[in-house]
Amino acid sequence: MADATAPRLVSRRTFLGWWMAIILTSLTVAGVLPILVYLWPAPPKGQKKGPVNITLDKPISQLNDGEAVKFNAPTSPNTAFIMADGGGDNAPGDLAFGGFAVKNGSKVDVLAINCSHLGCSVALNDSAKTFDCPCHGSRFHLDGTVLHGPAAFPLSHLSWKQGDDPSTIQVDGIVLGF
Amino acid sequence: MAIPHPRDIQLAAVRWLDERYPFTKTIEESMYQRVPNFANAFYYCFGGMVFVIIVLQLVTGILLSIYYVPDARGNPAEAYSSVLFIQNSVYLGWLIRGVHFWGANILIFMVLLHMARVYWTGSYRAPRELNWMVGAIMLLLILAFALTGYLLPWDTKAYFATEVTIKIAGSPPPPWLGAFIKQILQGGPVVGPPTLQIFFTAHVFLLPALIVVLMYVHFRFIRAHGIAEPM
Repeated sequence: MADATAPRLVSRRTFLGWWMAIILTSLTVAGVLPILVYLWPAPPKGQKKGPVNITLDKPISQLNDGEAVKFNAPTSPNTAFIMADGGGDNAPGDLAFGGFAVKNGSKVDVLAINCSHLGCSVALNDSAKTFDCPCHGSRFHLDGTVLHGPAAFPLSHLSWKQGDDPSTIQVDGIVLGF
Repeated sequence: MAIPHPRDIQLAAVRWLDERYPFTKTIEESMYQRVPNFANAFYYCFGGMVFVIIVLQLVTGILLSIYYVPDARGNPAEAYSSVLFIQNSVYLGWLIRGVHFWGANILIFMVLLHMARVYWTGSYRAPRELNWMVGAIMLLLILAFALTGYLLPWDTKAYFATEVTIKIAGSPPPPWLGAFIKQILQGGPVVGPPTLQIFFTAHVFLLPALIVVLMYVHFRFIRAHGIAEPM
């Protein structure tokens, strides 16, 4: 034989050993992986993203400069709003269960109610024209930017458009399905 | 016919059993096991107390699960009203729930005392390192028990404590990892009925199975190594 005495790069044993290891590992992974994917939660029947109709206490057109009106997410069916942006404790795509529609100069902002520090619901301070968070004292201007406090990021915006009648708006949200 | 002495009946019953499996030998082996003098101290008992409290939690937990309903839908949710039912209407329900609640707190305290004892007597040294690791995993399991069990009454305290914990668990950067962890733990975009279902399954099926298996391993190691000599 020509290379019977030449040193082999890899013995038959090593070659077979590696192939067995590769095949057994891939079979195990192929068996376990579907179980891990099973754990990823499937949305419940009835969960649907879409615009949520909100009836405001005061129509947007009647808001004065520096005035805000609070609204909550409907509870039958359970619904939530989806944040369009956010920093700190908020992130785009996070859920909010309340919001404020604010008139700032000529534009209208719709902000999520969650403080960007740790997620508590901010309250409107009418006299000081700020949003104050009762948990750790963060304060925000009416356009959502930080005025004071442990919060380091502005309040999140909610995507919205005018609804069918003057006191309704449509906010991007999701019907939770439970 | 002469009426047999009760003692004779007892001896006959035990003899019947012993002829079929060495019960007496097995029990006497454990009962008359000698303990070294240095282990004759109260702080060597904490591990056994952990075992007793875990058994108590298993028993009271099973009794609670006869009446508890893990459904978070509705207002009020059946999870909450079933706990109220246990507390107020079930005979001794308040006692079973109370033992389960206080048992959980005392269990965590005892686990920490046991861990401190093992640490300060150096009982984790070779050849017992593996047993220490098994103990560390069991500590994490006990904490997981506490976390999952806390949500089950589905009241305000339970809901928001769980939300805070999941936010902490979901905080590691990069952001997609945090969101992934949150989605897996919550079973959805927000803490809701799927979360309760996941936590109930973990608390009642997964974690008890794991802890029983690990306790068995822990005790096998101890029988094999014996009680560690103090430093």
